[in-house]
Amino acid sequence: MGKDECKTMLDALNKVTACYRHLVIALGSTSDSQNLREELKRTRKKAQELAVANRTKLTSLLKDKSISKDDRAEYERLWVLFSSSMELLEVDMKRSLEIGQDFPIKVPTRHLIQTGMTGSTTTVAARAMSVQNMKYEADSNIDTADLRDLQSEITQMSQMMEEMEMKVQVAPWAVEAKQEAGAELKSNMSVGNSSVGVISICEEEPKEEDGGGGRDAGFASICAVLVFFVIVTVALVLGYLVINMS
Amino acid sequence: MRICLRKVDLPLSPAPISICRMTIRTARPNRGQHFRPRTHCLNKLESIVVEMQDPKSGVKGSEQKLNVSTIPHVITGKDVIAWITNKMKTTPEEVQAFGTMLVAYGYIYPLQNHKKLVLCNDSSLYRFQTPYFWPTQKWVAEDSDYAIYLAKRNIRKKGMLEAYEQAHYSHLHDWLNHKWDFIVMQATEQYKAGKERNKPDRVVFDCQERAYWIVSRPPFGLPLSFQNIFYQQAIMRSKVKSSVSLGALTKYVTTYKNHDPFLAPCLPSNPWQTDHDAYWTCNTRRIDVPTKMRVERWSFSLFELLSDLRGRDDFKVFLKKEFSGMPPHLMRHLSNLAFWEAAEELKWGTASSMTSKAETIFKTFLAPGAPRWINIDGRTMGLTVKGLDHPHRYVLEAAQTHVFLLMKKVHVLVSNKLEQNAQNRSLGVHPVIVWQQEEEEKAKAAAASAPVDVKAMMSKIDRKK
Repeated sequence: MGKDECKTMLDALNKVTACYRHLVIALGSTSDSQNLREELKRTRKKAQELAVANRTKLTSLLKDKSISKDDRAEYERLWVLFSSSMELLEVDMKRSLEIGQDFPIKVPTRHLIQTGMTGSTTTVAARAMSVQNMKYEADSNIDTADLRDLQSEITQMSQMMEEMEMKVQVAPWAVEAKQEAGAELKSNMSVGNSSVGVISICEEEPKEEDGGGGRDAGFASICAVLVFFVIVTVALVLGYLVINMS
Repeated sequence: MRICLRKVDLPLSPAPISICRMTIRTARPNRGQHFRPRTHCLNKLESIVVEMQDPKSGVKGSEQKLNVSTIPHVITGKDVIAWITNKMKTTPEEVQAFGTMLVAYGYIYPLQNHKKLVLCNDSSLYRFQTPYFWPTQKWVAEDSDYAIYLAKRNIRKKGMLEAYEQAHYSHLHDWLNHKWDFIVMQATEQYKAGKERNKPDRVVFDCQERAYWIVSRPPFGLPLSFQNIFYQQAIMRSKVKSSVSLGALTKYVTTYKNHDPFLAPCLPSNPWQTDHDAYWTCNTRRIDVPTKMRVERWSFSLFELLSDLRGRDDFKVFLKKEFSGMPPHLMRHLSNLAFWEAAEELKWGTASSMTSKAETIFKTFLAPGAPRWINIDGRTMGLTVKGLDHPHRYVLEAAQTHVFLLMKKVHVLVSNKLEQNAQNRSLGVHPVIVWQQEEEEKAKAAAASAPVDVKAMMSKIDRKK
């Protein structure tokens, strides 16, 4: 059905937008590199393809006058999702242009900001492109050549957004969200040991109030492990006695 | 409206950063109504931060051990202070203030005690912020971005947000309700994307983001209700109907379209295009006969007449020439014009001359029984005289506006006269004025515009009668 297709495409666009933002944040810092520039370029192109596909689909759905009121409300909600993604993407593209121009890669003395991030962003880009591994094949002058492309893509994007606003009359403030406050907590990803790890790595000072929470969680897991071993020991002892008795 | 944010505890008041002629005067980013962009200052700050990165002459970084990982690029407060002292070669107080501003504006963030944005001159640890999170004028920290951040934090903290964050979260949930689906989706995706990186980078990223939002949405900053004051004041501003404003715009365009060098050809020729400076030479102040276009412009409004120095001169001459024929109550426009000119001089003059100018103006125009007393209403006079106790540039603004409005009535007569004479004006090139001639004319003009004693004139006229 049209709705499910739309939703899948929107999810994909959303994912790519999130990854793109993550990559732009790394620009200009010590995790910046030629690979990052190429990742940005490819993520951006994917985002644009998805954007165009989404737009065509949604405009055709919204133009259809024969849909029911509920359907229409749903499509308008999807439209608001789509245009918000686009806005985010446009801002990030403009910022990546600015920062990319301020921090060129191929200069004799590079002064990248020492932010403490040194790892690569390959996995983020792979997630955006939905591939297992990224292959890098760009030339060394990617920063200058890509910036020109980026400028023209930004103009295209702005034009597309203007067209969208003109053609589709959707009042964004009239849309009602389906999710209530705190919905993000329910859509939970990996529960279990990784969540404990997440709490402890971010607090850098033991005085932090959350450090207490982390310690409690660690304490609880230690208790659980101890109880487990006690039970195993008791079981072994009982088994030994049973064997001895027979 | 000044909005007071939490004061920085410094031994002395923070010295304003005057890297360039524009200065940043607040120790914290000013989010109030008088917020003006300081792009140029921020560009200079950015180049200083980039200089700090130099491997040889920059600030030395070290490593930080955290659980099982080590994170590089950590700097101490005293290293930063030493580097700034070395670079700027100024007093310790100013270095301290500059350093604290770097932290307060978000170029460097503290690792311990992350809510207190000061640069401590000891071994407390700091780190540089990534360029995406630098303060800029172009990209305001949007509410939707903040909502996404809070949602992400909510996921990470499993619902245990801090009090102020919870307040913001609920507020944004109401305010951005139509976008809430998007915010939730984007927050979960950004969270998942963040987990793709290795652990040390994830720590750094979380710290960076947290630091950015502490700068952009300070925990002890404006209460949410206070921000609504901006919107309330915006609603209270008077609104003009678009038909009225469009009508005014059309009128303006029709009046001025022939005078705009972009829309109409600039006669005799545009000096920038033909390299022939006749246009400038025949529009100087002291030329014998001003050009037709110039005079036409004077008839548009009194403001145009007074802005053009030649127009002002001719206006003075007009008032004096018409003296004998003009009723006495219009003679005061001569002193009005003189007062207007004096007020302009005060506005645009040097700060050191202000008190003496203010005194002269008071003695000549405003004191009771002054030689060129201007007749403005009692309330304005009272306010102005009171203001002259502590003169500043704009102390005569009210009086000047009043006088301007009075002179506007004469402008009608002037523009009629100008239209009459319009036929006699020529468009052509006139002889170039030599510098010596100009000087002579200046001397003559100075002698001629000596203060006119109104009382003497009045008595002369009485005697004539």
